[in-house]
Amino acid sequence: MSAPTGSSSTLSRRRPAGRKALLATLMLLVAVASAFPLVWMVLSSLKTTAESMQVPPVWIPRKPTLEAYEKVAGVVNVSRSMWNSLVIATVTTAGILITSMMAGYAFAKYSFPGRGLLFSALLATMFLPPIVTLIPLYRMVGSIGLNASLAGIIVPNLANAFGIFLMRQFIAGVPDDLIDAARMDGASELLILFKIVAPTVAPAIAALALFAFVYHWNSYLWPLTVLQGNADSYPIVISLSRLLSYNRGAMNTGLVMAGATLAVLPPLILFVFLQRFFVDSIVSSAVKG
Amino acid sequence: MTNGYRASAGIMLAPAVSLIGVFILLPMLLTVWLSFNDWSTQTPFSEAHFVGLANFHDIFGPTSVGRDFKGALVNTAIYTALSVAIILPLSVLFGLLVHQRDVGGGTLLRTVLFSTYMVPMIAVALVWSKLYSPSEGPFNQMLGLVGVGPQPWLSSPRSALISIVLLNVWQQVGYFTVLAIAGLTQIPGSLYEAATLDGANRTEQFRYITLPLLRRTLLFSAVIAIINAVQVFEPVALITQGGPVGSTNVLTYHIRRVGIERAQGGLGSAMAVMLMLSLIVAVCALFAIMNRKDDE
Repeated sequence: MSAPTGSSSTLSRRRPAGRKALLATLMLLVAVASAFPLVWMVLSSLKTTAESMQVPPVWIPRKPTLEAYEKVAGVVNVSRSMWNSLVIATVTTAGILITSMMAGYAFAKYSFPGRGLLFSALLATMFLPPIVTLIPLYRMVGSIGLNASLAGIIVPNLANAFGIFLMRQFIAGVPDDLIDAARMDGASELLILFKIVAPTVAPAIAALALFAFVYHWNSYLWPLTVLQGNADSYPIVISLSRLLSYNRGAMNTGLVMAGATLAVLPPLILFVFLQRFFVDSIVSSAVKG
Repeated sequence: MTNGYRASAGIMLAPAVSLIGVFILLPMLLTVWLSFNDWSTQTPFSEAHFVGLANFHDIFGPTSVGRDFKGALVNTAIYTALSVAIILPLSVLFGLLVHQRDVGGGTLLRTVLFSTYMVPMIAVALVWSKLYSPSEGPFNQMLGLVGVGPQPWLSSPRSALISIVLLNVWQQVGYFTVLAIAGLTQIPGSLYEAATLDGANRTEQFRYITLPLLRRTLLFSAVIAIINAVQVFEPVALITQGGPVGSTNVLTYHIRRVGIERAQGGLGSAMAVMLMLSLIVAVCALFAIMNRKDDE
């Protein structure tokens, strides 16, 4: 142990091979247990009805088929619901990005009276369970005529404390000199924020965008409450709840799992390609906090 | 830090502050106010009339309103305790598996674990209600292979709540694993080297280095896990509707049923206030325990 770094490799050489085998087995077990439900979901969605009902069960479909996916379209208006989800998640995310960057910039780069207090008050709302505000919010949104509409889902969510917190953390690291130089050139504050500060914190903006998109793609309680059964405006996660009534008996397993797969795909695809940003932003929210 | 930009600060803060003020802080205050009022959710706020503590008497009283609420409170407490007790140790174990460098594949394991966190609850509900199915569900089939008889899972009042806990653990443990990894990467490797030189074995190193230095991370994880757990709504709304015989009737589900579906806004608000107070007490208790450990 001469060098202070590279210790783990030195340690591992001293460790018996059995230990490595044990570690590898444990990791494999955890991975399999974690992946099993989703793998089973996709496999089941590709089975024929006959295969779904077979006893003992067929785990891997012999001839994968997409017929179950066609059946989903007969039960749920998939394209309409997907469009609604896309509108809700995209518009909400855009709003959160703008409001969070502006407020994050103000908290990071201006000093004004009551700054600490205001920031703490906003931050506290991050820990407030949505059910605590649900009943009056439902009434408020109804009384301004936004219930049963996509706007009613979107408008109350256009700003949140997590976004402000994340943006403040990262914008605080942008050198003041950069901002002062732009001010000398006569740039307005908004222009400085979006043209000069934003590009330097692009990874954080990407992380926030992904988080917000997936969160609002998946959100259920508020849309369910505000839409009051207006099925035309249902996002996919609410439309698909119809499939729950098909979940008795093995006959419709393929149909149900095809629906579940459709709901999972958009957030999971985003995650697979961009997981680095997700992980980084979680770590920064925990460590830097 | 720049002075003399107060007008700009106002403009920059206005959108976020007014949105959060109107759509979060104002309704929160309204919830507190409504909890002291008799009010139907279908009427304007002006219809509310003050009844003092009557709502709180009702929700803790001997009638069915009180029984249901107290049941939901107990279910939520059990649910929260179980979630935290299962998630935290697993997140540390999985974090160690991802963080170690002796066997490859740690990053892949992290990806697999964290991917479930992206899955919308409707998909979790659709898949898990099938996995749990007593007759043709894969869980019971696999148990059969190792000679264990079929379990009732969601269909028995004794096992329904823990079944919901388990599906939530599956969905969320990856998030907490990432937090644990973040904590582990901050522990200086030199500490382990020194301990090894002093002859400490792996168990001792875990007990005297890893766990103490993970305390901040674990506290943060516990707070988040508690906040998540008291909010559990979707699996209950989608799969069990609070049953069988009220065994999965948790607070968020119950409050929405009373306050929105039955339109008893005052009663629902009083329950929401109790939920908020319970959460504050739980989090403060957690901090107090951690601080006492600090003093030791």
